[in-house]
Amino acid sequence: MTQQDQIMAGWSLSAPGIHGGRVPMRDWSREEVDVCVVGAGASGGVVGAKLAEAGFSVVILDAGPHWDPMSDFISDEHASTKLFWTDERITGGNDPVELGSNNSGRGVGGSTVHYSMVALRAHPHHFRRRTLEGSIEDADHRDWPLAFEDLEPYYEEVEEELQIAGPTFYPWGKPRRRRYPQREHELNASANVLVRGCAKLGIPVAPSPIATLSAPHEDRPPCVYRGFCNFGCTTNAKSSILVTYIPRAIRAGAEIRGNAMVARITHDSHGRATGVLHFRKGSDELFQQRAKSVIVAGYAIESPRLLLNSAGSLFPEGLANSSGRVGKYFMVQSSEQVYAKFTERINQYKAPPPGGAITEHFNRTMPGVGFVGGYTIEVIGPHPVDFVAKMATGRGLWGEGLRREMLDYNCFSGLGMVGAVMSNVNNEVKLHETEQDQYGLPVSHVIFSYHDNDKRLIKHAREKMTEILQAAGGEDVWSDHRMAHLFGTCRMGLDPDDSVVNVDCRAHDVPNLFICDGSVFPNSTGVNPSLTIQALAARTADRICDMARRGEL
Amino acid sequence: MRSTQEQDDEFRSSYPNYNVLDKWFSPDWDDQTRKVVRHRLEKVPPIRFFSETEAQTLAAVAERIMPQPDRTESGRIPIVPWIDEKLYEDQRDGYRYEKLPPQRQAWQKGLAAINETAGILFKGRRFVDLDAESQDAVLKRIQKGDPPGEIWKQLPSQSFFEHMLLKNVVKTYYMHPIAWNEIGYNGPSSPRGHVRIWEDGLDPWEAQEEARRR
Ligand SMILES: Cc1cc2nc3c(=O)[nH]c(=O)nc-3n(C[C@H](O)[C@H](O)[C@H](O)COP(=O)(O)OP(=O)(O)OC[C@H]3O[C@@H](n4cnc5c(N)ncnc54)[C@H](O)[C@@H]3O)c2cc1C
Repeated sequence: MTQQDQIMAGWSLSAPGIHGGRVPMRDWSREEVDVCVVGAGASGGVVGAKLAEAGFSVVILDAGPHWDPMSDFISDEHASTKLFWTDERITGGNDPVELGSNNSGRGVGGSTVHYSMVALRAHPHHFRRRTLEGSIEDADHRDWPLAFEDLEPYYEEVEEELQIAGPTFYPWGKPRRRRYPQREHELNASANVLVRGCAKLGIPVAPSPIATLSAPHEDRPPCVYRGFCNFGCTTNAKSSILVTYIPRAIRAGAEIRGNAMVARITHDSHGRATGVLHFRKGSDELFQQRAKSVIVAGYAIESPRLLLNSAGSLFPEGLANSSGRVGKYFMVQSSEQVYAKFTERINQYKAPPPGGAITEHFNRTMPGVGFVGGYTIEVIGPHPVDFVAKMATGRGLWGEGLRREMLDYNCFSGLGMVGAVMSNVNNEVKLHETEQDQYGLPVSHVIFSYHDNDKRLIKHAREKMTEILQAAGGEDVWSDHRMAHLFGTCRMGLDPDDSVVNVDCRAHDVPNLFICDGSVFPNSTGVNPSLTIQALAARTADRICDMARRGEL
Repeated sequence: MRSTQEQDDEFRSSYPNYNVLDKWFSPDWDDQTRKVVRHRLEKVPPIRFFSETEAQTLAAVAERIMPQPDRTESGRIPIVPWIDEKLYEDQRDGYRYEKLPPQRQAWQKGLAAINETAGILFKGRRFVDLDAESQDAVLKRIQKGDPPGEIWKQLPSQSFFEHMLLKNVVKTYYMHPIAWNEIGYNGPSSPRGHVRIWEDGLDPWEAQEEARRR
């Protein structure tokens, strides 16, 4: 359909176009849709777009705004706070997780608007951790109910849509059946540091697969290495969900409703979901969106919170929570960062923060190290506001000493790990007993403590990163604790008493409710999660189509 | 007391002739970024949340965390007004440590506690009236987690110091173009990006060094 046809056909809304201006969009607010998706991020965008293209009527709600990349994204760290989920969350446990800018986005595109674009596949062994690693005290890591091979075609599908730029040969994981859609990116100075250090130590290192264009694709230009990727891409080179799947969804007739915070999922007396109640910006009223199926895609804190907030007489412990597993087994990935000073100018603000190089050499259970699981080592590139906070807290440095050290900002180079973390029933997202958010909804209370295995893994990674930086000529090495990426709070599994969703991301308890974001991971892998989240969402869309065809919805 | 010359040397930038604002009309600055930075430079917010004593205490603390002895009153990077605005508008961070009260209470209690500790350690004097060395002694006790004082019994001092005081002061300092100049940060870059991204590679519009410090 042309835009004219769409308007003639009664598409009465409009949404920001990715190159400015507005595009026509359908309005589903008064109708019962086939599918209502909560969250327009990595998973919600993929599943919503695919289902709209398959002919379902779809509305995707997001708590934050529908960004216009041409005018909303600002080339400034402080002004970009609006991209993050900044509503209050209470964080506790022995190792409380720093949330906000470090962990979750808010707005159409979700966290992919500001993520770092490292686009890795999990390895076949990540799906079988329990089998391979056996039982471990105080941990409850599980095999996935699906195998790498089940996701492989979907990894290929999303890599194609996102036009991942990567090397012709990528040395880790299952050998690829096709090469990456786009050629690899040039390495920046920090990536050269990683390569130099690894070469000295005999550690294999490779170009990193990244979700930003290295060549023009359709109406989007290649990356110009602005380096502001964590604050929204103003040129549309970055393959965020906002500029890839969302436009597809709109063209296929979906409505994307920004500034719509879902407060509750409603259900009927038979225990089937009937839609959602949501707040819209500037109103205290709760609006209803009726839907034949609901897909929750709010990420691993908001998704369980929404289910718990949707408790009712049929579901006293929260929707889809007969197992008591909603909110349990919360996981992060350890993301310790290590920095060193160099005599050359590094200028870490340039080019995408992953720099263009990576090593997954340690992403496996290694003999004789005293821990299971592994990690990747990646390049990072913080701008000054972020960097100074790391230096101040990581080194406990302030005063004249801090201001002097910062004069050498341009000579620092850093590495960051992405490490697997054990799952444990005591780590959880629950509703806070007294505190409420701006909508009057109980806020999340997030509890997290590292397992001893995690601590040993982090120590190993910190030592390796230090060795690499030193081998590359770095001095004055220091590190900062960090955690990133959220998982586990609606885990998938075969046993309805021990998991929340099945292999198709369908809730065991509510047949027309799906959860398909990071929260379904039964263990955290040793790679950045988005590509796996997106592949899983793409698979879920296909499974929903199959179920609909067979009349099983 | 050291001479002004020594203090100047201490913070001598490698980029004395670099001014990021010279690029205001270049392809590195788009309209929305100009708007934000102009606001930051011209519309320093008035103090609306802190009491006068709180604002003075915080100003003295900020001067120890990010000292600016080399600058005149009007040439300084303002710190307190932006923290005050954050609290006045109650802009949250997206997380709060379990043991800390909501941010407004935490700041009020924390600033009062700093004065209490100063009084206990230094014969009833207020933090603002101490010399720099004594002020640092107070802050170090707070950072270490063992400051004397009743108020700290309700507020974990280490956590308050690290997550509220330290982070907010240093982040506020480095969001200012004067700080960008000093460290040779390229600043905004939209829509223009970079070509020379390798070690010592510099695009013509990046900060050129006069003398390398190291
Ligand atoms: C700084 C940073 C860098 C990262 N870098 C990488 C990287 O390099 N590679 C990688 O693979 N991953 C990276 N990640 C992680 C990645 O972005 C996330 O894992 C991924 O986006 C999660 O997908 P999701 O669909 O589960 O949630 P999200 O993408 O976060 O989307 C969730 C959406 O749901 C909305 N929402 C939540 N609750 C509600 C509600 N009740 N009502 C309405 N809307 C709601 C939110 O507003 C949000 O837009 C990074 C993350 C951060 C923060």
